Amino acid sequence: MWRIVVRGLLAHKLRLALTGLAIVLGVTFISGTLVLTDTLHNTFSTLFGKVYQNVDFQVRAKAAFSNSGNVNAVRNPIPQSLAATVRRVHGVAYADGTVAGFAQFVSPDGKAIVNGGAPTLGVSYDPNRQLSSLNLAQGSAPTTPHEVVMDAGTAQKYHFAVGDHVRVLLYGPPQSFTISGIVKFGTANNLAGATIAAFDLSTAQQLFGEVGRYDAIDILTTPGADKAAVQRAIAAVLPRGDEVVTGQTVANEQTNDINQALSFFSTALLVFAFISLFVGGFTIFNTFSITVGQRTRELALLRIVGASRKQLFRSVLAEAVILGTVASLVGLALGVLAALGLVALLKGFGITLPAGALVFEGRTVIVALVVGVGVTVVSAISPARRAVRIAPVAALADQQSDNQESSRRRIVVGSVVAVLGVLALAVGLSKPAIQLVGLGAVAIFIGIGMLSPIVARPMSSVIGRPMARLFGISGKLGRENSMRSPRRTAQTASALMVGLALVSTIAVFGASLSKSVTASVDDAVSADYIITSSATGGAGTFSSSVAGAASAVPGVTNVSAVYNDEFEFRGVISNVTAISTNQLSRTIILNMASGSGAPALAAGELLIDTNTANSKHLSVGSRVSVKFARTGSSTMRIGGVFQPNQLLGSYVVGDGFFLSHFTNPLPEAVLLRTANTSAATSRAIDHGLDVYPNLKIQTRPAFQKSQQAQVNQLLGLVYALLALAVVIALIGIVNTLMLSVFERTHEIGLLRAVGMQRRQVRAMIRAESVILAVFGAIIGIIVGTGLGTAFSESLKQQGITDIVIPISRLVIFLILAALLGLGAASFPARRAARLDVLTAIATN
Amino acid sequence: MTITEPGPGAAPASSALPAARAIDLVKIYGKDLAIVRALDGIDVEFQRGQFTAVMGPSGSGKSTLMHCMAGLDTPTSGRTFVGDREIGLLDDAGLTEMRRHQVGFVFQSFNLVPTLTAEENITLPADLARVEVDRPWFDYLVEQLGIRDRLSHRPNEMSGGQQQRVACARALIGRPDLIFADEPTGNLDSNSSAEMLAFLRRSVDELGQSIVMVTHDARGAAYADRVVFLADGKVVGELLSPTADSVLERMKQFGS
Repeated sequence: MWRIVVRGLLAHKLRLALTGLAIVLGVTFISGTLVLTDTLHNTFSTLFGKVYQNVDFQVRAKAAFSNSGNVNAVRNPIPQSLAATVRRVHGVAYADGTVAGFAQFVSPDGKAIVNGGAPTLGVSYDPNRQLSSLNLAQGSAPTTPHEVVMDAGTAQKYHFAVGDHVRVLLYGPPQSFTISGIVKFGTANNLAGATIAAFDLSTAQQLFGEVGRYDAIDILTTPGADKAAVQRAIAAVLPRGDEVVTGQTVANEQTNDINQALSFFSTALLVFAFISLFVGGFTIFNTFSITVGQRTRELALLRIVGASRKQLFRSVLAEAVILGTVASLVGLALGVLAALGLVALLKGFGITLPAGALVFEGRTVIVALVVGVGVTVVSAISPARRAVRIAPVAALADQQSDNQESSRRRIVVGSVVAVLGVLALAVGLSKPAIQLVGLGAVAIFIGIGMLSPIVARPMSSVIGRPMARLFGISGKLGRENSMRSPRRTAQTASALMVGLALVSTIAVFGASLSKSVTASVDDAVSADYIITSSATGGAGTFSSSVAGAASAVPGVTNVSAVYNDEFEFRGVISNVTAISTNQLSRTIILNMASGSGAPALAAGELLIDTNTANSKHLSVGSRVSVKFARTGSSTMRIGGVFQPNQLLGSYVVGDGFFLSHFTNPLPEAVLLRTANTSAATSRAIDHGLDVYPNLKIQTRPAFQKSQQAQVNQLLGLVYALLALAVVIALIGIVNTLMLSVFERTHEIGLLRAVGMQRRQVRAMIRAESVILAVFGAIIGIIVGTGLGTAFSESLKQQGITDIVIPISRLVIFLILAALLGLGAASFPARRAARLDVLTAIATN
Repeated sequence: MTITEPGPGAAPASSALPAARAIDLVKIYGKDLAIVRALDGIDVEFQRGQFTAVMGPSGSGKSTLMHCMAGLDTPTSGRTFVGDREIGLLDDAGLTEMRRHQVGFVFQSFNLVPTLTAEENITLPADLARVEVDRPWFDYLVEQLGIRDRLSHRPNEMSGGQQQRVACARALIGRPDLIFADEPTGNLDSNSSAEMLAFLRRSVDELGQSIVMVTHDARGAAYADRVVFLADGKVVGELLSPTADSVLERMKQFGS
């Protein structure tokens, strides 16, 4: 039996390759993602391990918020005097403070330097080379308030050398420094793209607003000292609220930080990989269904000569196992190559990684094989069961009947699955539980896939009518062919249906989001100009002196700085936004549902949005417990409840309150009201702020547009990732057409014999392909529009206020699908046209 | 092709029980107005060690009879036996078991698995049943059928006659109690037909094999010990020790 399976596969290498390709692509995606993230993970843990390998202990404040874990923990600074106390502890050889903050280099041509969205770090330079995480590659350490050392990555890219002057953007106004040295982070040119500006300790303290304070104290023990005893001794002299941890702990925490970011990244990629595999599963199911159908006689013959049902079932599954294994292994190999390519790509973006081989974990192989083989085998189960049901006598039948058995059962099962899917989706969206949403979507796709054969015949007929009109007899035959086996037509189209459903979901969701963003800017902001950071996505902060500089510009009547940071609201870490209370309505539109706006803010009260008020059962006058890192726990009165505002988030305080509760906050936006928005005003603002090249100054309409552009950019990325699923669906169409051509060899020969031209044969196959593609696209677009509307509807609370169905875009998808169908037909069509008339007729 | 020695361990030649029999066999196709009574109450026995031909015009039900008696198709009513086993009582596993060990098949066309070589096709039943191939018996059959030099060929590299001989070898490899042959010469030229029929004849005479062959060719039927005539789903007569002429004569009586 095994032999028959292997021979069968080898006899159809092309089919094997095309079917396998669907799995290969999905597995490549998965293994590439895993290898890349494992490599990045390994790179960073090695890097941080090296950086902190000589630091014995670090003294720092305990995490300000209880349940934040150690990841990205907010910590208060510690007093400088603590260093002296620690130094006196027996066994401490060296102890000195470190501070870090915002510092961004300006390139020689006046642009703020940033690598992608990576941070721009300012740090204090620790002259103790044993302790410092920075390795001086050239020049010397900074010793004066006018010196800075620069990371080698920035120096290389912008051709800075020791002795050059460089302008640096800081908390306060920008300043110019002399480059005293160039450093590497461990062995890397920079830290995953982050730029580093290092100053001597006291300069750094001043620049980062930490005079008399340190972020942490790094400690070396005397050689031979009992480290555990030293740690206990240090802990004994620390005030409550401070702690002493090993360098290894710090390294682990930092690695964890990075890993968390990486796992978000890899999860996102893996979701798309699984989508591709899901679509691949449809393709495999379809191919196996068709081949089992085509092999009816052979399978029946095997039954006649003594094969048991179990043997036949296993033979089909064995075929799937072999196919899945081969495809997964190929995918695995390609995945490694893809990871290599991506690392190179990152380098191209200025994110240099420390040298190191790709990390290829055993887990990657297992996941790739389990998922690849699993999807293939699961997809083949139903065709295998169909193979088992073939009656032995079928071997003797002259004509292969495409039996449309159990269509009623399929309709019942399909409906049940689809309804369950809708329910799961509805529950998942309202909870919200993302896994349930995914599960629901999968069930809906499978259910629709099972139901679509019902409409395949009439729809093919309708879609095919213009083809028949346009291409005459070829179009007519293509239409007939697509109507001949509604089940096959529907199954083939299913894969494309899923692909287009997802694309349409995103289109509807994206259009709604885009519209809501536009509407929300006008509903949220009354300012004429909006200043944000020029870092990618506008997420980033800039100098606190910008607001002051802006208010000095002629024509500017009101300035409001917007801050944002973390606080603990009833024990949960949340984000709080601060706005200027002075003439608030000149820059921000705050629609109060109850209570007062600006007066409450000015009185140091908290405003919450209606969503939070409803979900947490709070109202004006409620007192809630809050905690700020710097000032500790307290209670706040809720002074007002406002309608959700896109710019503000759920919790709002006044800027005065904010500044007294956070250390050195940096604004994330500055809003300007001006006398007019003439070009002259714009020029004046640009001119007034030209020392801050890290700013993006936009009028409200321009800001709106750039917000939309951001949404579109994100959508573009999602489309690109979904494209793979569509490609796999097209491979499925190619595969089906090839099998159909093979099956109809005799028939095509006959058509040729009675005078059909090669051109007409090609047109016939193309017509069929276009019908398949359009059929899948129509169902997909309908399903996707429904899903997209449901998603958008469920996010109404989160600010998706308008639901837009982008008809023109969906029509473009439909046209694209038709064109792709045309493309998919080209190979099978050529193959059909090449058939030799005589042999085709002789073939039986 | 002459048989020089009796095959090692050929099927038992004779016993009181017929190789296969059918009792009041009815097979109805279709529904309502489109009813076709393919078999209309057939009682028939096929003796052990005999070569029986089943003849009749197309549509007389001869293929259906064979399919029902071989367990490939289910009769509407009536009982069928292969040896002492009642086929109607067998489940799928039982039928599979019977096909592996008790019956062999040769068909008009599509007899072989296209991806397997001749040798693999012959040993396929043994491989499926996971039993050792009886090598001396295999060699004997291959020799007798003259397909030694074709063993490594695939079906599409062989002539129709060669393919049919491979199918014969496959039917015989498991020493079945009975071989069902459905128009085995239907696609062969006259030389190949004659060789095939002569081989079947010899396997009855010299190995004691029982064979039931459906045919519409009088010359083919002449190789049999007994001819059963079918028309409109009924047994309408039989002929012992037939010749081509006597068979043709009978056929004329049935007006075909």
